[in-house]
Amino acid sequence: MKNRLEELRLKNGLTQQELADRVEVSRQTIISLENGRYNPSILLAFRLARLFGLQIEDLFLYTDEEENYG
Amino acid sequence: MDNRTSWIATRVTLGWIFLVAGVLVAFVGILSEINFSYAPFNFRLITGLGILLIGIGVGFLVRYRSALKDEQSARRLTVEERDERTVMIRDRAGNRAYIVSTSLIYTGLMWTSFASSGSLPALAGDVLWFFLAVCVVIPFGVYVGSILIDQQNS
Repeated sequence: MKNRLEELRLKNGLTQQELADRVEVSRQTIISLENGRYNPSILLAFRLARLFGLQIEDLFLYTDEEENYG
Repeated sequence: MDNRTSWIATRVTLGWIFLVAGVLVAFVGILSEINFSYAPFNFRLITGLGILLIGIGVGFLVRYRSALKDEQSARRLTVEERDERTVMIRDRAGNRAYIVSTSLIYTGLMWTSFASSGSLPALAGDVLWFFLAVCVVIPFGVYVGSILIDQQNS
């Protein structure tokens, strides 16, 4: 799933490690999220969205490609 | 006690349980070795199991006990071990290893059934040992391999 995590992180002047510490996940998870290789749990998605003062759908971009469950 | 401290406290308790169980098992092994030296069984296996349990217990205690006193290290440990992506990768690896393990055991079960009717040679002696070793090693290999692959791909 595409997301605006890297853009918002840089905009807020956070390093990957700082963002990881804020939402209590590993730095590797942040890297995977930014690369779009990992889709977060709903709880993590909420934590990230709240951190940037956004709604989940403003942070994670659900596209038609996601409809393909395969 | 917050959620994080309670999780670490549980790990410390687990460490003590392993340690005490290990000491008991090792003690029983040593006593059996002394008192039943005539028996056709190598009691060092029991002592070895006890030592293994002691090692696991000490490992847990060394890793988690200091975290109970230090907030920073508690935070680092919980993030390391409860990170949702890491947990997902482990769960997925465990699932794959379980499927492989079940398949191997099922194969053994079928083999034994056919062997009892004489269609296949019996699983006994060295062959049985080798088969059981495969049942342990292959799922472990699948587990580790799966973690390594998923860590790169997800």
